[in-house]
Amino acid sequence: MFKSFILSYKLRNTYRVNSIIYSIKQLPLIGKHLPTSLYSSKGLKVLGNIISTLLEIINIFLGKALYVLLMIVAILGMYEQGNSANNFINIFVLLSIAGGLLNTYMFNPTKDKYYAMILMNMNAKKYTLSNYYYSMIKVIIGFLPFTLIFGIYSGLLPITCILMPFFVIFIKTIYNAYILYYFNKNKKIKNENVPTKGIWILIAIFVILAYGLPALNIPITEGVFYILFSISLIFGTIAFWYVSKFKDYKKAYKSLLTQENVYMVQNQTKGDAIQRTTLNQIELDNKTSSNKKGFAYFHDLFVKRHKKILMKSAKKTAIITFLIFLGIIVGVEINSDMRTRTNELLMTMLPWFVFVMYIINRGTVVTQAMFMNCDHSMLTYRFYKTPKVILALFKERLKTLIKINLIPAIVISIGLPLLLYLTGGTNNYLNYVVLFTSIIAMSIFFSIHYLVMYYLLQPYNVNIEMKSSTYAVVQWITYIVCYMFLQMRLPTMYFGIATIVFCVLYCIIALILVYKYAPKTFKLRI
Amino acid sequence: MVYLEGIGAGKTTFFNCLNEDLEIDSGEFYIEENEDKRKIEAEDVGYVLSTPTVPEFLTGRELLKFFIDINKDKIKDLKTIDEYFDFMKIEKEDRDKLLKDYSHGMKNKMQMLVNIIANPNVLLLDEPLTSFDVVVAEEMKQMLKDIKREHITIFSTHIMELALDLCDEIVILNKGLLEKVDMNSIDKEDTKERIILALKEEENV
Repeated sequence: MFKSFILSYKLRNTYRVNSIIYSIKQLPLIGKHLPTSLYSSKGLKVLGNIISTLLEIINIFLGKALYVLLMIVAILGMYEQGNSANNFINIFVLLSIAGGLLNTYMFNPTKDKYYAMILMNMNAKKYTLSNYYYSMIKVIIGFLPFTLIFGIYSGLLPITCILMPFFVIFIKTIYNAYILYYFNKNKKIKNENVPTKGIWILIAIFVILAYGLPALNIPITEGVFYILFSISLIFGTIAFWYVSKFKDYKKAYKSLLTQENVYMVQNQTKGDAIQRTTLNQIELDNKTSSNKKGFAYFHDLFVKRHKKILMKSAKKTAIITFLIFLGIIVGVEINSDMRTRTNELLMTMLPWFVFVMYIINRGTVVTQAMFMNCDHSMLTYRFYKTPKVILALFKERLKTLIKINLIPAIVISIGLPLLLYLTGGTNNYLNYVVLFTSIIAMSIFFSIHYLVMYYLLQPYNVNIEMKSSTYAVVQWITYIVCYMFLQMRLPTMYFGIATIVFCVLYCIIALILVYKYAPKTFKLRI
Repeated sequence: MVYLEGIGAGKTTFFNCLNEDLEIDSGEFYIEENEDKRKIEAEDVGYVLSTPTVPEFLTGRELLKFFIDINKDKIKDLKTIDEYFDFMKIEKEDRDKLLKDYSHGMKNKMQMLVNIIANPNVLLLDEPLTSFDVVVAEEMKQMLKDIKREHITIFSTHIMELALDLCDEIVILNKGLLEKVDMNSIDKEDTKERIILALKEEENV
């Protein structure tokens, strides 16, 4: 088994090293002058191996460090009440269960697995088990320092912190054993990248519990963790036994590692896979038609044939938001503690909603669909690139995008002032207006932001290769900025007014920029 | 007019320059009209890429309708949409299908049709016949012969026979340089040999 692990590691390393050399060759200025023979150069291979090993080590710790810091420690600071040790363990345990369902290692159809087991015909069982044990060891080693540091800091017993990573691997193995068992019975394999609806709902429940229980001041305690751990220990041991005895890995992987699955994962950042999935979203029904003319006609058909990705999910979000509000309203009616607390929060937590509005905004998906299913081909036609057409379509699209995003935004913008009123109101009536207007302003802001970025920075060429990273960088910055708002607490009145002013200014500037530059920037990269 | 050249000689780059997708380092393009030389303008050029790119969410008819709506003022002797389909030999039952379900060849036809309707003075075709099956390729060849009567048609190809068959003038693009091939000889074989010779000489330089 050890031998097949070494073999698979070498295989993985070889193409990792090659991709490192490839990325060196992609560097601006230097890259062009490097010859192809680099791939056979010994010195570079050694260098590549060193880099690749370093990456592996960084990978072990950095991912876990970020996870503990961003998903747990950063959130802990937000709870004003409760015992931080309990909150810590609550979030960790429940997120681990959600993570176990989402990230199995074993059933992630990666290129590594495809190459080793399908192309190279390695022994599937030996390959899978050795690599699975390796990744489980990585989980333990990666988590331990951080659960220890932050766990003890939060007030947990050291022994608890040591047991926590083991809980993670038990949970993962239990779920993996279940998948194998399920395959044995039904001859169907679960692909971890395409979770079923049921799995999504379970994950959502655990995530809500993870962050919700501490907010309600009823987190699970260290004692409960020990009970859960004991259970996971028993079932985890059985699961490990089952996994190591399972015979049909080859069959299982043959049905998992189809070209399609592997392709989908590996190329998620690459355009063709995205395009394939977006293309599938064109609704086949070609009976829909439009009475409009020109651009409006064109755009109208686009919207009608993409109802599913454009309208339906926005409506779904709106319904879910509505239900959440309903839940909170019922909650504050029953529980007077919750009422006063919600009332206080409403006066300070508006910054949170920057992130919420960011999350529910459909801008990324919509602009992506616009590019993949429409502009990608249309931009090769000369007439489509004239300033008149570009700007006319921009206007139509902006209207649609704002409309789509306003569907859930309206629910929130009415829900918040309503909640404020129901929880005891406020002395200054302007607060209601500010809450309502600032949410609407944020929604419009994000709509404009995404569309303007798309028109100014469209990064793909005709073969859907990413030619500029500015677009990705801007999206990343947008995320970081919105994420930072999660940490802020500011009086609703001032923050709201500032937000409204900012949004209005930004929108004006952005629109001026589009009208000035889009005719030049909105094109396929070469 | 045709380019024959080795792979990677820069033919797509050259087309991109003509179509103003790329900034040119130096030089200018002219068009001769009634013995007047004038600079090429955006409306003069139509460019058909080698891989068909059509908006897949529209039907063939809708794409044409949209195109005609927008360019109404510019199109001379406008025909009905079905007449255009007839011209391109696109079957009746295919006209109202989503372009997503069109075959490769049909997509290419649609792309070419959109470019022809606009009636540009210069039509650029990148490898127009390489990806068709035999029947469609023959149809297209015939069509290109019709089209070139009224348009300056510039297309690129690696297939020498095709160039000799269709073209009035042949230009070789090799290592970034354009070289005209003497077409005076009636003997095709003779021309062929001269083209190969020219390409080989370039390699030896």
